[in-house]
Amino acid sequence: MAAPWANTYYACPCSELSAAAPPNVSNGGTPLELPGSFDNGEEGSTFDPHNPRANYSLYPLDNLLYCDECDAIRCPRCWIEEVINWYCPSCMFEVPTSAIKSDGNRCSRNCYNCPLCTSPLTISSVASPRPVEDSLKPSDAARPQESYLLQCQYCDWTSLDVGIQLDRPTKITEQLVRLRKSKDTKTDPISVSNREETFNNLTNFYKEELQGSTESQTPFGNSPYNSPANLARIMSLYGGVSHTALKKSREKPQPMREASSHSQGLLVYTADKSDAEEEILQRLKELGWNGTTTGEQRQMAPVNNDARFLGQLWPVATALRTRRGRRCRSCRQFLTRPDPKMGSIRYKIRLLALNFIPRLSLKPLNAIPPPSNPAFRLTLDDSPQPLLQPFTPLQYVLTIRNPIFEKIKVSLATPDTTPGKVASKVTILCPSFDVGPAGDIWDEALGSSTTTPSAANDGGRKAAMASLTGSTTDTDRQPEAGKIWEKTRNSTSVILEIVPGSLKPPSRIVTLTKQEREEQAPRQDDDRLEIAVYVRVQWETHEEGPEAGLGKRDAERKMPSGEAKVAKELAYWCVLDVGKIADV
Amino acid sequence: MSRPAAAARRTHKGEYIETDTGNKISRKSHIDGKQHIMLGGRTVVMAGVQMRGDLCRVAEKSSDGGAEKEGPTTAIAVGSVDVEIMVQRGTIISTNSVLRPPMRLSRGQMTCYPMRMGDNIFIGPGSHISAASISSHVYIGANCVLSPFCVIKESCKILPNTVVPPHMIVPPGSIVAGRPGRIIGEVGDGWGQGGGGGEGEEWVEGGDLRPLVRSIK
Repeated sequence: MAAPWANTYYACPCSELSAAAPPNVSNGGTPLELPGSFDNGEEGSTFDPHNPRANYSLYPLDNLLYCDECDAIRCPRCWIEEVINWYCPSCMFEVPTSAIKSDGNRCSRNCYNCPLCTSPLTISSVASPRPVEDSLKPSDAARPQESYLLQCQYCDWTSLDVGIQLDRPTKITEQLVRLRKSKDTKTDPISVSNREETFNNLTNFYKEELQGSTESQTPFGNSPYNSPANLARIMSLYGGVSHTALKKSREKPQPMREASSHSQGLLVYTADKSDAEEEILQRLKELGWNGTTTGEQRQMAPVNNDARFLGQLWPVATALRTRRGRRCRSCRQFLTRPDPKMGSIRYKIRLLALNFIPRLSLKPLNAIPPPSNPAFRLTLDDSPQPLLQPFTPLQYVLTIRNPIFEKIKVSLATPDTTPGKVASKVTILCPSFDVGPAGDIWDEALGSSTTTPSAANDGGRKAAMASLTGSTTDTDRQPEAGKIWEKTRNSTSVILEIVPGSLKPPSRIVTLTKQEREEQAPRQDDDRLEIAVYVRVQWETHEEGPEAGLGKRDAERKMPSGEAKVAKELAYWCVLDVGKIADV
Repeated sequence: MSRPAAAARRTHKGEYIETDTGNKISRKSHIDGKQHIMLGGRTVVMAGVQMRGDLCRVAEKSSDGGAEKEGPTTAIAVGSVDVEIMVQRGTIISTNSVLRPPMRLSRGQMTCYPMRMGDNIFIGPGSHISAASISSHVYIGANCVLSPFCVIKESCKILPNTVVPPHMIVPPGSIVAGRPGRIIGEVGDGWGQGGGGGEGEEWVEGGDLRPLVRSIK
């Protein structure tokens, strides 16, 4: 529901599923000759909007980009993103890349989120009984020691719940790190520094072993770390061993010694924490399920990964966000590039698909009142969309709007019955037609004398009559096969006839087996009538220059070399959402 | 159909009062403290909307001698009015929404803060807005709650039934949903683009809403 044409989704032809062209056009139109670039796909299969995989290739038009070098639609699957800058969404400060590498991807300023509900935390002073005269003192006077806390205004969590009280309202991160360290040393007999020391010992030990690997026999025959290959892999992950050392170890595949003392980095697990475990169990009994953390809360930040109870949750530093530019995957040119300045919402480059590919929109014919935009509901008690009655023919106006400055030739194709469980019949009355070029409104005003007669011709006899009599209200007009319904400067409308199918399977005399019944049971969204339309657009454009033509693929240059015009074509699937079918 | 006269008279009068700058104010809206509200023009305030301009910052009384002291002036000083709610061009406030400037306890006193809104904002029906500022091209769905002091930057989309927590800052181009609201995605690069279509599709979410304003009668 992104735009007024929200009921239209466009499939990027980058995947096999969405690149498949229809096998034939059964709607009375001319059969499509398949363009060469599309017959590598699975031929003969039509795009099924109810396919679970279809979700991954359908996008609203404003989410798609267009590469004007490759002349192709680009979707998140076929563009690559490039980080322009990192910033904190809460304080909107840009963080330099060097700081990201050293400090990680969290805001190191004063931005924290609630560990329970992810809302931002605010810093407030702990309410302490203060004499009234305080406010009269000059601001630089020595104040009584105040303490501050972090508070979530959404769920009322405060840092006092986990025993955090801050001395200053600034430099929160520093204070929290200090508090965390002191807490860790208190609860854990092996302090953080001790752990680091142990890890260093262990890396040193393994490095020596890899360098020398003098001993051939080890007492730890069945340890997973005794093979040099395994160890080399682990060391390359965590230790950063040089390449030559790795090579050396590969040359001499010998089993190795394991660390055997604390000086070598061995840390023996002691199972003497039984009383601690008892305590945990006791607390579990007291606090119950509601006192424990959820998986989501634990996963939100590494600092909370081991938190078992709500009382152990630590405030979460706000994760940074990025602003990204997008490049075409095949030609590497920028498709969008935001202004690198923080706070600016402008784009330096922006190649939007909606400025390049024809836009389809569907609305019911003779709808009274005119269909309201579902995205802009002005009142809460707007009636929902009426359901479609099965087996009742409906007529819709399909409008194709041309955004480019060339006249385009459009061919539409759709399977005459929609794929999936509910077979609805769809007929496009006029499957191939032209759409005029987009341009300034002035062009239309100046060139009105040329466009009007053609429009009248296309409209047929009725339209001619209407233009003769001067009456514009052609309510009695009937849709005719092969005729365009309406034509404006850069848009053409045709009529689509739809007969929604029934949700219920046809009745049978033979009773179904259980498996058959399960197959026929309607799944979610089966009642949604969606029509996949294959749109093929052809147009001619002027050659901009010799080098512009060289960059294009040869397949698109079908015109004889004598002319300076280049024929181009684009084909894609488009899914029109008609509505829900009533279950009768 | 027996008595069409009454209905006809009502429609003749029109639901909206249109000002010189093109603001359309519904006769069924409830607006308090009009002198503290500034509408920039081409703004629609629909039926049942409540705007609490009366919740403005009052002159502070200093506690020493009881003498009147002018409180700190509001951040936006447009003209000489104490602007509480400031709305600019092409903004639509749908039915039954409540706009209420944010307030908080400051030095033991409840203090109201001004609320600023940009251009081309759509506020869905039944929403409760208490944000500190809403930038331009923001789309807010139906039944949303924008808690006090939240800041919505440009080109954001708040999905229906979202509760944006207090003090949350939503960076530009985000999609927010949930209770409490979280940033669940980014709007497409074509956000707000592609208006200017045919009948009934001139306006898009985040785009220029002036045609929609024009269509509301």
